[in-house]
Amino acid sequence: MLVIDDEPQIRRVVRHALEAEEARVLEAASGREGLDLAAAERPDLIVLDLGLPDMAGADVCRDIRGWSAVPIVVLSARHSDREKAELLDLGADDYVTKPFSTIELRARVRSHLRRAALAAAPAGDARLDVGHGVAIDLARRSVTRDGLAVHLTPIEWELLRVLATNAGRTLTHAQLYARVWDRPHGDAQQNLRVHVASVRRKLERDPVRPAIIITEPGVGYRLDTER
Amino acid sequence: MRPVAPRSPDGGDERARREPFLPWIAWLGALAAVTTAMLAVRARLDKAHVALAYLLVVLGAGARAGHRIGIALSVVAFVCFNFFFVPPYHTLAVAEPLDWLVLGAFLVTGIVAAQLLARARADAAEARERTAEVDRLSAVGAEALNAPRAEDALLAIAEVMRSTLRVGRCEVFVRDPPGGTTLVAQAGTARVETAGERSDDARAGAPLFRFSMGGAGLVDWVASSGRAALERMDGAVRVGAEEGYTSALLGLDVAGARALLLPLRVRDRTVGVLRIAGESALDLDVAQLRFLVALSYYAALGVERLLLVAEAEHALALREADELKNALLASVSHDLRTPLTTIKALAHDLREAGHEEAATIEDEADRLNRFVADLLDLSRLEGGAFTVTPEVNAVEDLVGAALQRVSGLVREHEVHVHLDTTEPLLVGRFDLVHSVRIVVNLLENAAKYSPAGSAIELSAERRDDEVCIAISDRGIGVPAGEEERIFEPFYRPGRPDVGSAGLGLSIARRMAEAQGGTVRYAPRAGGGSTFVLHLPAARESQLGAATSPSASL
Repeated sequence: MLVIDDEPQIRRVVRHALEAEEARVLEAASGREGLDLAAAERPDLIVLDLGLPDMAGADVCRDIRGWSAVPIVVLSARHSDREKAELLDLGADDYVTKPFSTIELRARVRSHLRRAALAAAPAGDARLDVGHGVAIDLARRSVTRDGLAVHLTPIEWELLRVLATNAGRTLTHAQLYARVWDRPHGDAQQNLRVHVASVRRKLERDPVRPAIIITEPGVGYRLDTER
Repeated sequence: MRPVAPRSPDGGDERARREPFLPWIAWLGALAAVTTAMLAVRARLDKAHVALAYLLVVLGAGARAGHRIGIALSVVAFVCFNFFFVPPYHTLAVAEPLDWLVLGAFLVTGIVAAQLLARARADAAEARERTAEVDRLSAVGAEALNAPRAEDALLAIAEVMRSTLRVGRCEVFVRDPPGGTTLVAQAGTARVETAGERSDDARAGAPLFRFSMGGAGLVDWVASSGRAALERMDGAVRVGAEEGYTSALLGLDVAGARALLLPLRVRDRTVGVLRIAGESALDLDVAQLRFLVALSYYAALGVERLLLVAEAEHALALREADELKNALLASVSHDLRTPLTTIKALAHDLREAGHEEAATIEDEADRLNRFVADLLDLSRLEGGAFTVTPEVNAVEDLVGAALQRVSGLVREHEVHVHLDTTEPLLVGRFDLVHSVRIVVNLLENAAKYSPAGSAIELSAERRDDEVCIAISDRGIGVPAGEEERIFEPFYRPGRPDVGSAGLGLSIARRMAEAQGGTVRYAPRAGGGSTFVLHLPAARESQLGAATSPSASL
């Protein structure tokens, strides 16, 4: 795994957290160095700080995405939710806001490594057990909750399918619009949030305390799988 | 009407004013010369020749020296005509009665001609005066516009007024925003003057007027009322009848005034005051008053320019301060969070290694981080740099995100949510990020001020065109009379030990107001508090297809 951060203390903290996950950790102190290391060593995951002195974090992100699908977790300190959403749109997989807890960082890293491994494996299993009694069968286009079939409208199904195939990853509003609705603009887009709420009502045990579809206010939504 | 001509700076008239007998002597001499010349050839002259020769002299006098000399000369010529050229000679008797007709016709012609000439001359002089006035006005205008600084322009205008109107002093005051006036330009007798203190009255030996309307008080009054005023020599004050300049000014009897004060108005707003004053009484005619009014427009524009320059400088200073503040905020936010991350991580490692007290370090780091976030938000809310993006959102989503966020913070209380998820979705139009923050603040506030283990109730409903989210606790409540003060920043109701800076509620209310809602407090029946967040409800038209269940693949 690769940590790109100009602050040595933060590199140390991240290295510590990642080594607890039994990973080999490389460190880069600048964007340039980070890009070189990423190309040479092909890490399984990159932790990228946005406040680099030599390059904008967004540029590093775009550069890596140009040739690799490696999961990128962004560390941000002062960036607004809109900027975070833009980074996710650019191809970052997740972000963690400083000051973060090491538990949180490790959980995110684990989740992205798992997702990346799944994506690399041959797509044999179309069934996804998201936990909380909910299972999704992508091939049959069906959802069950506690073994009973759940009826979803076509838009609700598309929404769930897109979130489920990116489980663990926060999808921005823009990404959801683009993947759920073919048209880039339209009336229904405004109501993304309303559709999410109705999917929750059908799947979650307590829609007010959602455990499956998590809201990242100002950024987007994420489907969490029980682990 | 007083003749305007003697006031023009024409050289001949100046001389005539200084030596008033000179034209009389000259024109009577001319008449004597003509009489003498005609006496020499009297036998060969007809009465018509005499009449024509005298008329020439009378017309010449009327044209060159004014109607008084013209009329006087026609009378003298009439007498000479009778005495020397109408038989019997050298008496005023007239032998032939028809000669009276000739003499009478001559007299009338002479007087009328003198009058007409004088009027034409006066008209010409006035036209010259107007031309000169326009020239002066355009010169002042150009000077005022080209002056590098607004103060210089005003000084130039004041100087032109003083010299053209021949008054002792001309002052321009600018109206200060909080009331009162400041002297910005003065032409004439130099003296130090501050508002509220006038030393010239005693020095000039003028009758002292110390009642409230005099002096600087009068300037301020003109500025605030927008009406003209004048001070008379005896200290009495007369004020213009109505707002606005020309009518107010021309309605005043300027004669005998010691000082005249005009409001300077731009776009129906009084921006300053023009004061002209002399050691003796002002002596201004209607034409000069008109000129004064015209110039006062320039003065008003000059004052306006002064104010605009000041405003622009102020705005620039504010913008620079704002940029500095934003840079500071960004730096604080970034540079504080980086070390906090390290502190938290190390504390976490310590705790994992068995040092339980390290948990306090982690919690305190989180608290410090929240406090800084609060300060940043408050400063953005106060500075107007706060952006809101209202979108159609489900209240369930808002409540869910808020509960998720407080799960680590509100540990000693259970939150009971009363939200019927079988009812149609409760949908509002608000900014989700800010609204989550509001609900989190209200939940934290409820937890902070209620005993550990007590439940916090959360309910939501639609009331007319609002969605209302109520958060109730069984806490200490709010003392009577403090219901609004709790929304002020840094307010803490007599409990310094709750570990908060007292920013939560004020941020909550301001964030709600920024998106068209508010936060209200009410005491809860049976003890405790209820805080209600009001947010705009979504209109049916904004929901569109989402509420209709039939969408097909």
